[in-house]
Amino acid sequence: MPEHVILFAGPMGAGKTTAIRTLSEIEVVSTEAANSDRDAADKPTTTVALDYGEISVNEAEKVRLYGVPGQRRFDFMWTILAERAEGLMLLVNADADNPVDTAIEYVKEFYALYERGGIIIGLTRADLVPESLIAEYANALADEMPDVLIPVFTADARSHSDMTVLLMTLVANVELKQAVAANSELTSGRAR
Amino acid sequence: MTIATHLDSKYISRGELALSGFKDLAPSLRYATLLTEDGFSVVSVEGDALDSNRFASMASSTQALADAVARELKLGDNEFVIVAAENAHVVQVRVENHPLILAALFTDQATIGKSLAAARRTARRLNVFLAAY
Repeated sequence: MPEHVILFAGPMGAGKTTAIRTLSEIEVVSTEAANSDRDAADKPTTTVALDYGEISVNEAEKVRLYGVPGQRRFDFMWTILAERAEGLMLLVNADADNPVDTAIEYVKEFYALYERGGIIIGLTRADLVPESLIAEYANALADEMPDVLIPVFTADARSHSDMTVLLMTLVANVELKQAVAANSELTSGRAR
Repeated sequence: MTIATHLDSKYISRGELALSGFKDLAPSLRYATLLTEDGFSVVSVEGDALDSNRFASMASSTQALADAVARELKLGDNEFVIVAAENAHVVQVRVENHPLILAALFTDQATIGKSLAAARRTARRLNVFLAAY
């Protein structure tokens, strides 16, 4: 069965664990611990290693969903899990401090995944901020990385339809990139 | 306002007390840290060269992954974690009734069994100190 591996990243409290729970067709494997850092995010637990879920795209295709911890002190898990991933769903809570800068920072951190398959940004809690912030993301990304094309959506991590749209857009992007790469390899092979 | 576990003077003072006797129990101890479940170092002993925050974060992830495996396979509660490498080993044990983990790095001069026994004893000592607080 063909498979895709998608990574969910973003700051603490952005909704990564919730998104994977919303999408997964199996019981999610979680590694949550009591949260000592209530100033960073006021929630009782936090992911310290990974979240894991699965979803079928169709009868023949499965997507493995891996969530990384949001706190940078667990960035060794980012490296480990990014090695196998083909695409990144970056969730950013729009009502946090400096959400645009945070998104850019994460895109740079996981840029290898953009090149390998693609990145999509999901702005969560976007109903709590002015609509102009959404346009600000696109402009800031275009200014910072003019050659990079990253779709930005608003999304509710609890909404199955919202998260499915994001995931399927990302998977389509990954498949397209892989097809283009395979085709160019074939073409360069013939040219030799 | 609730004090974060890693900043709580009760855990820091009792942790220092419990860990102070650890080296006597296990001379091959190279480094030990008492950490919160979410990877904040509360108190550390030995090994100045080690980054205690990094060690605590990794110990937290390792513990959570081992707990997840035990849970998924329905093995009951996970009691301890051992990482046995070529030149040294890491032993992790939970401190019963508290949101704390004791993680310790030992050289290969001691057997894993001895290291585990020393770590468990230190965790129990800490538990007694905390109960008396």
